[in-house]
Amino acid sequence: MGALGRIYLHRREELVVVKEKQRRTAPPYKIKAVEPIAMTTRDQRWQAIEKAGYNTFLLDSKDVYIDLLTDSGTSAMSDHQWAGIMLGDEAYAGSRNWFNLEEAVKDIYGFEYVVPTHQGRGAEHLLSRILINEGDYIPGNMYFTTTRVHQELQGGIFRDVIIDEAHDPTAEHPFKGNVDIGKLEALIDEVGADRIPYVSLAVTVNMAGGQPVSMANIKAVSTVCREHGIRLMFDATRLVENAYFIKEREEGYADTPVRDIVKEMMSYGDGCTMSGKKDCLVNIGGFLAVNDPDIYQRATQLVVVFEGMPSYGGMAGRDMEAMARGIYEMVDDHYIAHRVGQVQYLGRQLLDAGVPIVRPVGGHAVFLDARKFLDHISQEQFPAQALAAALYVDSGVRGMERGIVSAGRKDNGEHYFPKLEMVRLTIPRRVYTDRHMDVVADSVIALYEGRQKIKGLEMVYEPPTLRFFTARFQQLEKWKI
Amino acid sequence: MPKTDNREEGDWLEAEPFRIKVVEPIRRTTRAERERLVEDAGFNLFSLRSEDVFIDLLTDSGTSAMSDRQWAGIMLGDEAYAGSRNFYHLQEVVEDLFGFPYVIPTHQGRGAENVLFATVLSEGQYVPNNMHFDTTKAHVEHRGGIAVNLPIPEAYDPEADHPFKGDMDLAALDDFLKENGEQVALTMVTITCNSGGGQPVSMANIRGVSEICKKHGIMFIIDACRFAENAFFIKEREDSYQDKDINEIVREIMSYADGCTMSGKKDALVNIGGFLALRDEDLYQQATVWGVLFEGFPTYGGLAGRDIEAMARGLEEVTDEAYLAYRIGQIRYLAGLLDDAGVPIIKPPGGHAVYLDARRFLPHVPQKTFPGQAIAIELYIEGGVRGVEIGTVLSGRDPRTGENICPELDMVRLTIPRRVYTNRHMKAIVETVKRVYQRRDGIGGLVFEYEPPVLRHFTARFKRV
Repeated sequence: MGALGRIYLHRREELVVVKEKQRRTAPPYKIKAVEPIAMTTRDQRWQAIEKAGYNTFLLDSKDVYIDLLTDSGTSAMSDHQWAGIMLGDEAYAGSRNWFNLEEAVKDIYGFEYVVPTHQGRGAEHLLSRILINEGDYIPGNMYFTTTRVHQELQGGIFRDVIIDEAHDPTAEHPFKGNVDIGKLEALIDEVGADRIPYVSLAVTVNMAGGQPVSMANIKAVSTVCREHGIRLMFDATRLVENAYFIKEREEGYADTPVRDIVKEMMSYGDGCTMSGKKDCLVNIGGFLAVNDPDIYQRATQLVVVFEGMPSYGGMAGRDMEAMARGIYEMVDDHYIAHRVGQVQYLGRQLLDAGVPIVRPVGGHAVFLDARKFLDHISQEQFPAQALAAALYVDSGVRGMERGIVSAGRKDNGEHYFPKLEMVRLTIPRRVYTDRHMDVVADSVIALYEGRQKIKGLEMVYEPPTLRFFTARFQQLEKWKI
Repeated sequence: MPKTDNREEGDWLEAEPFRIKVVEPIRRTTRAERERLVEDAGFNLFSLRSEDVFIDLLTDSGTSAMSDRQWAGIMLGDEAYAGSRNFYHLQEVVEDLFGFPYVIPTHQGRGAENVLFATVLSEGQYVPNNMHFDTTKAHVEHRGGIAVNLPIPEAYDPEADHPFKGDMDLAALDDFLKENGEQVALTMVTITCNSGGGQPVSMANIRGVSEICKKHGIMFIIDACRFAENAFFIKEREDSYQDKDINEIVREIMSYADGCTMSGKKDALVNIGGFLALRDEDLYQQATVWGVLFEGFPTYGGLAGRDIEAMARGLEEVTDEAYLAYRIGQIRYLAGLLDDAGVPIIKPPGGHAVYLDARRFLPHVPQKTFPGQAIAIELYIEGGVRGVEIGTVLSGRDPRTGENICPELDMVRLTIPRRVYTNRHMKAIVETVKRVYQRRDGIGGLVFEYEPPVLRHFTARFKRV
């Protein structure tokens, strides 16, 4: 049970948190090593953001106070994991750490075959290359940046089959990451099952705000896939956070351990790609896991070209050991309740202050609704980009744009105009205290109160793909906060 | 330094320029166990469990012992997704050491190759190299390119005692570029030349390659995996470099090139990591696009911050002359003892490994039944020593005819990890090789039981003839 009390589906379309009278809880860990943070002045931060072209990706880490750019690879490992770091077997072939990792994945995820990769996109690359042929369609519950680019690179076409509510930041839905089964069936009718190599199901859905998929929906997607002979592949990056929401919100799972929910979720699929840098609580690593021996066989041939031998996949032995240990820690019920609880804690403060955020709050991040937050800035003037820059200047908090810049351009050269224009405040795992969350909340609330002072931006450098990483901006008209 | 009068220059006893701070115990196995284990592994040493190996000479890649200073760096990882201080440290070290201002970290060397070829190589184009390493060749071919080896003829003669057997054949390169100029994506030189026995390339040769490339307007990239070992050979063997320090020599090597790919797992003394370093800003910008897609954001490139820090520190350590003298000295020590015992090896020994000459070792085993593989298996059974075949198995099949390529050099590589094994381990290796050599007449060849279509040596299974 989370620190805020159980979340009930109260009315048909509204989720409310019923605050139960209960004792407050603390993190189920204590701090063993710290990393001091340098403090900066507002003037220094103005200089830094200008030097970075108003792109928080281009800020130096040393100039950042609270780094909410990503929860990927930023987790604090446990002492048990660090001990594993000292037990690296760096043999090129047959490292014992590999056997530990393989066993952990089989045990917790339940797939037959495991191919390690240096991180999640390495696994996406292998999967796309193996399964997608030119002109194939890949239905998914909302796009993710690198996933879609890998699909397109193989000539595939991504089709969004997520429920409509996912695109509406204010729609309260307990499982906003769900697939619209009607949309999925319509696509199958339209292009034929043989043009669909697999359905890509993300748990949770990052771009929708870290929103979970229900077990019932996973089952339904799986049923449709099996009827038509289409594979179901999970993007399992944040599967434990998803499992926790199932435990909290779905009928019949309240007393089921998260570990069992994870296993059940995965049992409906044919495999998964995993970025260990999220739920596996490590700084580097990933894998592809499948049940089909043919896919595995082809993956082992490709992995040596792009990643490394199938028994290390571009990871040091020590990093495989840390991931094997992280996999067992991530399914601890106390850990995951605290993790999601901290994200809810930040979200609740912003909601109480009336700041427009994506609701309900997801599992790894709070997403500011930049369109509403800065309703005086049109989407072509990059409101989310401007808001992320302003937040950094105000308090040294680094968030990330997830809107028009991240969405990129269509083939005809026009911007995609995504419905969601957001700033993501992503909470690293086990790194910051609730005091840090309070600082973030105070800063966002102060900005919201003075929001009229923030104005738009123009793009002055645009790379050809994944532009959000390295694009540069400047102020369209002079503004100061 | 202490030195006895009756010893020749350089012959006095010298111990390692480090002491051991952390150890990793090794489990011992019996000969009977090893016979069973190697059979279970399909007579492919890549499929053995590491814990079943006594002395692991499979590779020098990623197997180095890091220093206490590097381990301290591991604790200083800044795991920020963007702008990590460890990246800036690496960038500074690479620019200082190599003179290349633009660096894209990658998870290891093949990541750098992938990013480079995605950026500059189109279908049907050629890539000349002194000798392609296996993953480099695989990347070139994966993009529809054609890998061309242009070493000097001595490179293929295991007994030719040439100081720079890794040199490129400059006349052949000039002719090749003249003929195919338009269709050449870039020229590469691998230092040291791994597939040729870890043989160094001379400064004069690198300069020559650079001039020819400039003349034809072709990009020149160095595969820098073992740049420090190569620089040590230049200092030792090439006129007018005896008094230069290793850093100066490295900087001069790189000054002739447009960039380099690097596997940090070799001469950066780390267990994971690599990078692509470039001189040209535009090319760098183009490469970052592919870097982001395959590796990671340009300031971490698929590495944890701590691993970037360890790599930066390793690059600062590897050009130390006392270290390099120890490193090359250990290889020579092993080679010398094997040579004294009459075992056929490639001469002179290179910088990171001793190569047994399989065709002279097992003259009665035809190349198509993989004499190198057969020797490697026997070394494991005899003494728990894991070497690796660099010969017919590694060469794969001719993509046009489908026939096995039988390379002129069929070898077993005994690759020495950096700072890991003592000379007592070297003696155990010598004893193992000697025993196998003594019973060589009783050793037969192998055939495939399962042959994967790409990079078959990693996952193939064999059976005895």
